[in-house]
Amino acid sequence: MKTEKEVLFGLYNDEVDLMKAIKVAKDDHLEIMDVYTPFPVHGLDDVMGLSESRLHIAGFIFGALGTLTALGVMSWVFTRDWPIIFGGKPYFSLPAFIPITFELTVLFASIGMVVTFYTICGLGPGVVNPILDTRITDDKFCLAFETDGLNTSEVDNLKRFFNTTAAAEVHTKSISN
Amino acid sequence: MHHTVISPIREPLVEGAKTYHQITEDICSPAERAPNLLWIVGFVLSLITLGFGLACIFITIWWGIGTWNLNRTIGWGYDITNFVWWIGIGHAGTLISAILLLFRQKWRTGVNRAAEAMTIFAVMCAGLFPIIHMGRVWLAMFILPYPNTRGPLWVNFNSPLLWDVFAISTYFTVSLLFWYTGLVPDLATLRDRATGLRKKIYSFVAFGWTGSAKHWQRWESLSLVLAGLATPLVLSVHTIVSFDFATSVIPGWHTTIFPPYFVAGAIFSGFAMVLTLMIVTRKLFNLQEYITLAHVESMNKIILLTGSIVGVAYLTELFIAWYSGYVYEQFAFYNRALGPYWWAYFGMMACNVLSPQFFWSKKLRRSVVFTFWLSIFINIGMWFERFVIIVISLHRDYLPSSWSYYSPTWVEIGIYIGTFGLFFTLFLIFARVAPVIAIAEIKHILKTAGDQYTGPNATVHHHDDHGQSESVEANH
Amino acid sequence: MEQFTFTGKQKTFSIVLMVIGVLCMAYTYIAYDGGHHARFWTNFLHNSVFFTGIAFISFYLLCAHTLAYSGWHTLMKRLIESFGMFLPVGAIFFLILWFGTISEWHHLYHWAQEGIATLGHENYDRIIAGKSPLLNKSMYLILTVGLILFWSLFVMKIRSLSKAADRGDNDLATYKSTKFWMAIFMPVGAFTSAFFIWLSVMSIDAHWYSTMFAWYTSASWLVSACALLALFVIYLNGQGYLKELNQTHRHDLGKYIFAFSVFWTYVWFDQFMLIWYANVGEETIYFNTRLNTFKILFFLNLGINFLLPFFILMRNSTKWKIGSLGFVAIMVFFGHWLDFFMMIKPGIYTTMDVHGHGHGDHGHGELISEAGHHAAPMIELGWQLPGLLEIGTMLGFLGLFLFVVLTALSRAGLYTKNDPYYEESLHHHS
Repeated sequence: MKTEKEVLFGLYNDEVDLMKAIKVAKDDHLEIMDVYTPFPVHGLDDVMGLSESRLHIAGFIFGALGTLTALGVMSWVFTRDWPIIFGGKPYFSLPAFIPITFELTVLFASIGMVVTFYTICGLGPGVVNPILDTRITDDKFCLAFETDGLNTSEVDNLKRFFNTTAAAEVHTKSISN
Repeated sequence: MHHTVISPIREPLVEGAKTYHQITEDICSPAERAPNLLWIVGFVLSLITLGFGLACIFITIWWGIGTWNLNRTIGWGYDITNFVWWIGIGHAGTLISAILLLFRQKWRTGVNRAAEAMTIFAVMCAGLFPIIHMGRVWLAMFILPYPNTRGPLWVNFNSPLLWDVFAISTYFTVSLLFWYTGLVPDLATLRDRATGLRKKIYSFVAFGWTGSAKHWQRWESLSLVLAGLATPLVLSVHTIVSFDFATSVIPGWHTTIFPPYFVAGAIFSGFAMVLTLMIVTRKLFNLQEYITLAHVESMNKIILLTGSIVGVAYLTELFIAWYSGYVYEQFAFYNRALGPYWWAYFGMMACNVLSPQFFWSKKLRRSVVFTFWLSIFINIGMWFERFVIIVISLHRDYLPSSWSYYSPTWVEIGIYIGTFGLFFTLFLIFARVAPVIAIAEIKHILKTAGDQYTGPNATVHHHDDHGQSESVEANH
Repeated sequence: MEQFTFTGKQKTFSIVLMVIGVLCMAYTYIAYDGGHHARFWTNFLHNSVFFTGIAFISFYLLCAHTLAYSGWHTLMKRLIESFGMFLPVGAIFFLILWFGTISEWHHLYHWAQEGIATLGHENYDRIIAGKSPLLNKSMYLILTVGLILFWSLFVMKIRSLSKAADRGDNDLATYKSTKFWMAIFMPVGAFTSAFFIWLSVMSIDAHWYSTMFAWYTSASWLVSACALLALFVIYLNGQGYLKELNQTHRHDLGKYIFAFSVFWTYVWFDQFMLIWYANVGEETIYFNTRLNTFKILFFLNLGINFLLPFFILMRNSTKWKIGSLGFVAIMVFFGHWLDFFMMIKPGIYTTMDVHGHGHGDHGHGELISEAGHHAAPMIELGWQLPGLLEIGTMLGFLGLFLFVVLTALSRAGLYTKNDPYYEESLHHHS
């Protein structure tokens, strides 16, 4: 089901202006919808108060799964399913299992994390997300507010906010939810 | 509140007082223009070379490995030499992206994108050789451990050759994921500048990237952890390739120094190839302000370092061969230097150990022309190294009656040449359709490495502009 | 505080440690005279190699950082320099070891036996005779004492340059000159240290060889040096010094301990696996002894030098929190000391009668297997595991190391303020 929502956004020319604006917005208790930047701005997540990413935890779990899979399969094959002596080594020759175990740990962790990343971000091949302004991926830093359900004075307040925080441009756009 | 201070003696890494928009323009434009004549000529030549290589592969598969000059004594020749050579070249990309990221070497941003692409293409070239070498390529899936109707007959998990299968496929996959994830925001930049069909295509491959703050945060976290994983991975790949040799009991192969020595050699040849390619690319696409002399110099220092490590390893091997008191080991090294393949050994020594020593001179490190030619010498030298290790160690084994000499057939040479066709075809396509420099990452370092902010010609100083830097680099 | 003062209390502390060490060594010498006081001499060699190596590798690390345009470490530059100042002291220890070799005070080195390279002599050993151009008493002097003194020259040169920079004499020229000497030291140090290691440690097992060995010991030194550096930083912080070293600096040290531990494990695995896999008798004997006679140490080594630091330091916060970083640093420092213990003791334990029952070529391994050999304890302290005397000896060396390093630290400003990267290090944050 597609619904539309109104978005009021300001474009800044520099990340410094953007960061200052976010601080002001935080102080004024304005509810920011999102911030869009052309590159990862250092310290932005702190200013916005974003919680730390937990992606690495997913990586650890997938990695551990890879370790267990590799060790489990190799041990089972060589000690239970089809034990064969190679080069006079014992059936369970741990040193020889280490390389594959390591590789699968890395493989599982990497694939797992990348898939998790795209899934939780709602990104993927062919996905089309609404774009507020095409210059956001070039040199504009965007701060956006959702204006659905706000009355005129509240919207005017937001526009004033953009004026006082040196936004280069202010636009409204309705995007699909 | 902290603020970043950049030492005034650091060289700027982005020249020309760029703005964010100029960076976008400069890096995107090669992918948006119609290809120039030079590109077309290069592409056609690459395709012809690739075609020739494919014909040689066809001959090999149709008539069998008998079309090669391998024999009972020398079971590995051009094929495995080329395999190791290409895999080695494929090491610089991940090294630049991952290890240098962890070591906070900012100059990596100028070259990481292209180097990673190079890694992926080089691994593809490398992977070809063992597969063709199997002879009956239609049974290649036998190397995969899956429940089957053949017994159940499993693969030998104790075999270094199987470790290689896992190492190289993992390396290829992880490099691809790492590279593509880094590419997504830049593809979005291209998408937002394109129109018509190109916009549709870039929309599809840009995965719907918006540049949302939360996405960037996760993207950075992902990059960091992937770098942390890729660092031991890149070491493991050439380590495992070295195990192919070192686990055996062939004099010249069985030596414990092989793993780090192979890794150093791989980085060495990888950087040489990155330099060869980037020196051409920066000129062709006019990117001298992003791949500066500072970049070239840094890479040359790595070449000097890894070349010297390789040199120390060669001498260690030679010395310990004497020290071991083991006659076969001693003969293997005597034979390397003074046997019928002496030319390969001295070629290797000259290209790998002596030639990088020129880079003690700062002037030569910063000479683009000299660097270009030297990088080619190094690639030749590293090819010799693998030939020395493989063919020389094999050709005179424990039984003098089996001693032999090997030189390749034109089919073997043809396949090798063909991989250059494959490599350059892929690289030229990449350079046409995607940004060869990571746009977002260059923008990210602009305020700490742009020449208007640092270096002798800086106009904006962080100390004078305390307030600004303070907000740029907010506290954590 | 910009100047470190070596207080009387600290002096007393390090002297107390040294006294403990001397007492332990004296007791070891007197009470255990087996195999020409083998227990004493192995302990002496063990700690000499360990602490000299830490001094060497710390200086090497400083060179590597400077040449790689690293900025963050600059606040610790003086401290790392001071670590390097232990090198001349190490030369004295190796001089004693050399004297011991020529005067036959000890029989640490199989190759030093009389007539071992003389054809027809009862001690003649064909393999060792082949190695005698390297394994002989003059080369020992040159490649241990000589090399350490040679490295010390570089340390002194760099130290005088860094002091000159403090006085502000032409900063940039001094900086360039520093880089010049460091650039020379990198390859020279790498190659010469291999000889030092081969002669001082690898030649104990005179028949055995491994091309990886120099890498392996260097990796072990590297972890120990980073651990000791972290401990010094934590200690000095506690004393109110180097307050500008913040969480991010500690985080970086934690990353180093983590990364180098992994690297050490990588080198350990490569060496072990290749020898295990190829199964050549001349090579496997080395690990065979360690796996059977030194079983506890063998697995302990992997546990505290890989598994524990790996899992403890995997999280970000544990890398910089003083408690966890300090704990791991102490642990791996001790762990790598054990690693060196296991490089040195087995070769002597298995070839020499360390109990002092008669002389001759009887290997200890053979003696143990002989029925009727007096009830050897299951685990022999001082050989299969370090006993209290070994720990005491180590504390003595540590005390001396502290004394030398803190003295060096007090003789110059705590900060290298004119270093072009000083400001960067001061504002180092993630």
